[in-house]
Amino acid sequence: MFSIKKWYKILYHKLFHLDDRLLLILAGSVTGICSGLAAVALRLSLESVIEWLHPYRHYGWAFILPAIGAMLSSLYLEKIAREGAGHGVPEVIYSVSRYGGLLRFRSSFSRLISSFLTIGSGGSAGPEAPVVMSGSSIGSNIAKFLSLNDRQRITLVGCGTAGAIASIFNAPIAGLVFAIEVILGEWKFVNIIPIAIAAVAGAEVSQAIIPEQVVFNHQPFQVGFSDILPSLGLAMATAIISVIFTKILRLSGKLAKITPFPLWVRAFIGGSIVGLIAIFMPVVLGEGYHSIQAMISETFSMGLFLAFAAVFAKIFSTAMTLGWGGSGGIFAPCLVIGSLTGIVFHRALFALFPTIGFASEGAYALLGMTGLVSGVMQAPLTGIFLIVEITGGYETILPLIVVSSISSTMSHYIEPASFYFKELIERGQFLRPGTDARILSDLNINELIETDYVKLSENMVFRNFIDILKTSEQHFFPVVEDETGEYKGIIQISSIRRYALNPGMYDMIFLNQIMDTKVLTASQENDLQEVLDIMDINNMAIIPVVENDQFIGMISKTRILDLYRRELMMQTSIH
Amino acid sequence: MKLSIIELSQHLGVATNTIERWIKQGKLPVSPKGVNYQFHLRDLEKWASKNNINLNLKKNGNRKEKESNIPLATAVQNGGIYFDIQGHDIKSVLNACLEKISDIPDDFKIDLFDRLLEREKALSTGVGNGIAIPHPREPLVYLNTPIVSACFLNTPVDYKAIDNQPVSILFILLCPSLNMHLHLLSALSFCLRDNMFVNFLKSRPDPNTLIEKITILQKTNLS
Amino acid sequence: MNYKLLHIFRNTPFGRETFLQSLSFCKTISASPYVYIPKSDKFLMYFNNDTVQVDLDHSYLTSPDTAKKHAEILFAEMGIKPLFYEPKNFTASSLPDISTNFDYLCCPRSVSDISSKIGLGHIGPRVRRIIKHATFPVLITSPVFKPWKSITVLFGGSENAVKALKLGLKIAMSSGLPLEIYTLLEKQNETHYKSLIEKEELTEPVNQLSQKWHYYKKNDFDTMLYDIPHDSLIVLGAYGHGIMKDILLGSKMEHIQSTLTNNLLIPGPNSSVTLL
Repeated sequence: MFSIKKWYKILYHKLFHLDDRLLLILAGSVTGICSGLAAVALRLSLESVIEWLHPYRHYGWAFILPAIGAMLSSLYLEKIAREGAGHGVPEVIYSVSRYGGLLRFRSSFSRLISSFLTIGSGGSAGPEAPVVMSGSSIGSNIAKFLSLNDRQRITLVGCGTAGAIASIFNAPIAGLVFAIEVILGEWKFVNIIPIAIAAVAGAEVSQAIIPEQVVFNHQPFQVGFSDILPSLGLAMATAIISVIFTKILRLSGKLAKITPFPLWVRAFIGGSIVGLIAIFMPVVLGEGYHSIQAMISETFSMGLFLAFAAVFAKIFSTAMTLGWGGSGGIFAPCLVIGSLTGIVFHRALFALFPTIGFASEGAYALLGMTGLVSGVMQAPLTGIFLIVEITGGYETILPLIVVSSISSTMSHYIEPASFYFKELIERGQFLRPGTDARILSDLNINELIETDYVKLSENMVFRNFIDILKTSEQHFFPVVEDETGEYKGIIQISSIRRYALNPGMYDMIFLNQIMDTKVLTASQENDLQEVLDIMDINNMAIIPVVENDQFIGMISKTRILDLYRRELMMQTSIH
Repeated sequence: MKLSIIELSQHLGVATNTIERWIKQGKLPVSPKGVNYQFHLRDLEKWASKNNINLNLKKNGNRKEKESNIPLATAVQNGGIYFDIQGHDIKSVLNACLEKISDIPDDFKIDLFDRLLEREKALSTGVGNGIAIPHPREPLVYLNTPIVSACFLNTPVDYKAIDNQPVSILFILLCPSLNMHLHLLSALSFCLRDNMFVNFLKSRPDPNTLIEKITILQKTNLS
Repeated sequence: MNYKLLHIFRNTPFGRETFLQSLSFCKTISASPYVYIPKSDKFLMYFNNDTVQVDLDHSYLTSPDTAKKHAEILFAEMGIKPLFYEPKNFTASSLPDISTNFDYLCCPRSVSDISSKIGLGHIGPRVRRIIKHATFPVLITSPVFKPWKSITVLFGGSENAVKALKLGLKIAMSSGLPLEIYTLLEKQNETHYKSLIEKEELTEPVNQLSQKWHYYKKNDFDTMLYDIPHDSLIVLGAYGHGIMKDILLGSKMEHIQSTLTNNLLIPGPNSSVTLL
């Protein structure tokens, strides 16, 4: 370990200094491979545990399996990993936008284990979010080891994400697009190359280790022009289903929080409800890759009405799993719900217009998936490229774009925040680079304070103040208590003019008689946003900063504009 | 050339913790040096031009330095104190004064005389109590330092002063810049407001005591 | 300057001792203590290049309804205006981010372990990580509240020791208490240390503020530790190079912290200390 670091230091100074592209590409590919391995590990262990549990599924008590799994998973997260709740992707986005992508090391494995417990036992959740979390945490910790700065670290977090998604779906471009569209939120030249390489590395890893268990085998489809019109209808359907899905997910989470039970009991309840649903409808179990494969390859056996019920059963059981304490993501459930919607739509279409030659059922399942991914995550590009890569061709691209754009637009109209962002937006922490909120959160109050102000004693005679005024360029004079230095008020030159021009007053008044004590003050603890709000509401151009009764300095709008502009330039520069 | 964080923060006009944050976020090209950081000017310039950012690195040289204000006493010392000025009206008195002041190059004397007269025509500089402060309206760029010449007239002259008293003492105020002009004018008028000083002037004191007195008065003004 | 100390309040008798120590520290150097009363059993601190999750044990969450009142009583006892810190950001709903924008942090020797381990010779792993990454010095309190009347700097000549010396001088300046320097002569002689101080331009403040500079021979380490006054605040630098020292804080430091009951003030390798 020692020598690695030493060599790295030499290399860093000779090679990577200033131009870090090579460094990022190397570190990014390592990150991609590592997160690819993590994804493969989760996939393999899920496969084997599902196989192992399969014989027991027929027993009546099997409904208890998801309950036990969810309970163990929540206990593990809470007591052993002590990770704190949350489904993963929002935390990664939060850390990227606020703390330069710093993630805990424990995140690189804890979600893998907890989601393995949840999904392996039958809970309805996706393994993608846990893999994304662990991939990005691996990237972040590699960056930490190499002592990289925030920008480079964020790139590596993106690499980890891309590698994970690419590996799990064997779809490198979808990984790249997901990382940039959802996690990073900015298309920057310096980011794209390392992330693309990491995505390819991740996909290669899964191909090399489990070529036969790649989630979706490439499958070409014939989609004609006659399908454009129906795809409009499908888009509407997926948009509505997306909104329902998002609402129910959030509702169940809120509901679970109201219940008085401890976390693990909640998880147990949620899990056993999923188990009960699964007795009648086993399609809701687990991450559902197998059912998706069945639907694409048109071996799916459910009838129209049963499939329609299955859509809502899956939505409900996913909400019960994730909202009530299970661990996992919504990506795979989205795909299952989407393909179910597609199939329902296709069968309804076929029943209504039996004579027209529409494309096959599998194609509609794929279109449905795009619709849901675009609608729930509001990531239309991820939806399009995922399906393009799964089908291995561009024959379906036209209806894909139609479905994805309409679905994301419609669901955006009804519910402006996507599932991943909703929580962050509610907390006011959705800080994409180059946006107003981001600049305001980056600029610290301490960077804006102008501190070179002469403080005056409250017992100073006005004449002495006039003498100070003669040589000073200050427009504001803070007035403080003699001994403790406690802030008392402020004198604005503009408001004392009438006394200043009247020499008769000079020996008559003390400063504490003419100072303004009602001026609102800010504190160093305030965010810039809060300070600006105070200034806007009260129409102030400058505000004193007082901390713990001590005058610190002043913040002026002029200074804010100056630094705001610089910050904007820095954030939007091309690098 | 190398810059430290503090130097760069002065160039850019931002706080040092802003620079530190930019380093942390990887927005600036920086070379670590032990625990501290330093910037190479060349790297910074290359980076700034690539990103189309104006660094204001060059502007540093012509940052305004505060002009040091010369005290009145020194200006009077430089300008000199002259007695027995002959003359019976404004023109001849001023002419006689200018003849005596050695700091003005001879080529400029006629021009200066015209300017002083022009100023008197606009508004008399007689401030009352038999004292006047003749001065041109524009700064005289050819002077190195501001000068104030105290000239005592032989016979009082009608100067159209505000109190209509004839003037017997002139303080000719000549400055290379407007700033110094205002400073000296304010210092001088402070002295002339003091009745003791005016009476002291009327006694035609010798140059050294006069300068001494001005220095003392100036100190009370500043304190 | 207005220095700020963060204290994580533990509503137990033991926590009270730690808190009294914080308050007395703040009072002596006229800093303001900010108290954080934990509402969940873990929090995150984001430093420049690392994020540390601090897991608290349940004793930190005992009777939350009385915690604030207890803290206020202790504040009043010391005559300090009560200040409370409320986290503004949350990584997940139950995971608050604690600002790292403080000048000091007060820690018991162990943040999260059971109280039988609270004693000498054991600095909890999380306290170690905080020390390692913190940009501010960490005050590690003695098990029982004990006001200190002098400052002792252990100066070993390393970069971090210089930081410790600066910190000691700073505290001596703001508290007006006497400062003594202890140095163990390992390979170098006295003049080496003097010239080191001179290079850092610290000779003048050292001469002004420190009363005595004690030197000990290499074998007299334990004698030196015994000679350090028992009622003195010990300021010493932590080491942080290499893989092994990521875990341990340096053998000398381990020995010191397991031998001395005094309050320790430790500037970590990432902290920056300026005299002014």
